[in-house]
Amino acid sequence: MNRPDHSTYREWLNLEADGLLAGAERGLLEEHLTACGDCRRERQELAALAALIERSVVPVRSDFRDTVMASLPAAGWEARSPRTWRFPAAVFVLLGGLAAALMVAGSAAEPSGLSALLAVGGMFQAAALAGAGLLAASWKGVGLLVENVISSPVSLGAFGFLVLCLNLLLFSLTRRRRPAGAARDGRTKGGR
Amino acid sequence: MTRGTEQPTDEELVAAVLKGDQERFGDLIERYQGRLINYLFRLLRNADDAHDLAQEVLVKVYQVLDRYDPQYKFSTWLFRVAQNAAIDQIRRRRLKVVSLRQEDEEGEGRDWDLPSPERGPYGELRNRERGSAIQEAIESLPWEYRELILLRHFGELPYEEIAQLKGMPLGTVKNKLFRGRQMLKEKLQDFLSD
Repeated sequence: MNRPDHSTYREWLNLEADGLLAGAERGLLEEHLTACGDCRRERQELAALAALIERSVVPVRSDFRDTVMASLPAAGWEARSPRTWRFPAAVFVLLGGLAAALMVAGSAAEPSGLSALLAVGGMFQAAALAGAGLLAASWKGVGLLVENVISSPVSLGAFGFLVLCLNLLLFSLTRRRRPAGAARDGRTKGGR
Repeated sequence: MTRGTEQPTDEELVAAVLKGDQERFGDLIERYQGRLINYLFRLLRNADDAHDLAQEVLVKVYQVLDRYDPQYKFSTWLFRVAQNAAIDQIRRRRLKVVSLRQEDEEGEGRDWDLPSPERGPYGELRNRERGSAIQEAIESLPWEYRELILLRHFGELPYEEIAQLKGMPLGTVKNKLFRGRQMLKEKLQDFLSD
């Protein structure tokens, strides 16, 4: 094996300072160091530099961890995946139990689980009927409005003007500049 | 998780936080606070600013923790966010390369808060000189060397992570660190024999 040149030994000294020098190379370096005063001095200087840097480290405030933990906001991902399902599940069970108890108590004639289910079914039926009625009424109202608008050129013109103004308003809102740095904040390349 | 007294990995801690164990984020903070604050301190040149920005970085990371991709090291991601945040802050404040002495409200110089391992008047003076010299030496390095020196010596990132973070080949990272250290040694020659 050829002997490494001097610059290679210098590189190895750096790797050694970082604890990255492999066994075989370490052996060659140690052998070289016994004969080379320059490299021995280089090694000492590298060690001194590392120690110097280590001594210049600023201490961390003792309350730093607690301060950060206290300032953590509710992150978006917590809403998608709550910290615990125990609380929502308990609330669901409690409300369900309460509703069933009320319904059972309300049907004095036949206080059973079946009557509770029937009552819930009736409630859904009533809700569906009310929704359908509202929808029908809304469509009828829209139809009357359109009929009214197109009945005269004046009301049609006024309606057109209103639509134009709304469009201009929407356009100006969408053109509003984002605050500086807002785009940059999402720039986290390590993230997905 | 892990067996026995083995420390959980960063990735395991992140997974635990995402499952609802928020306290594990505190473990991540403890693991990285020293390195993060010292890395930011060298960029911002002020210990208070470094603490504040480190807090901002950690909060930002927490908010987007669900976007963390475990194929990267957590530390690489953290220091990438920290570097971007520090560069943004430096640009915002338009910091100039000035001496290490700040002017307080009375117009008197105030030294940077560096630890003082040596006691006594001479020790204090020597510590101050040394702290200033290290900061000046680091700041005088060209940016391409400085950022790697900071990531290696203050962020304590391994070569591979620095290469990934900077998008450089491993050999380039080794070479730049080697040359950066040579420059630092030359500038700090007077303090290496302490």
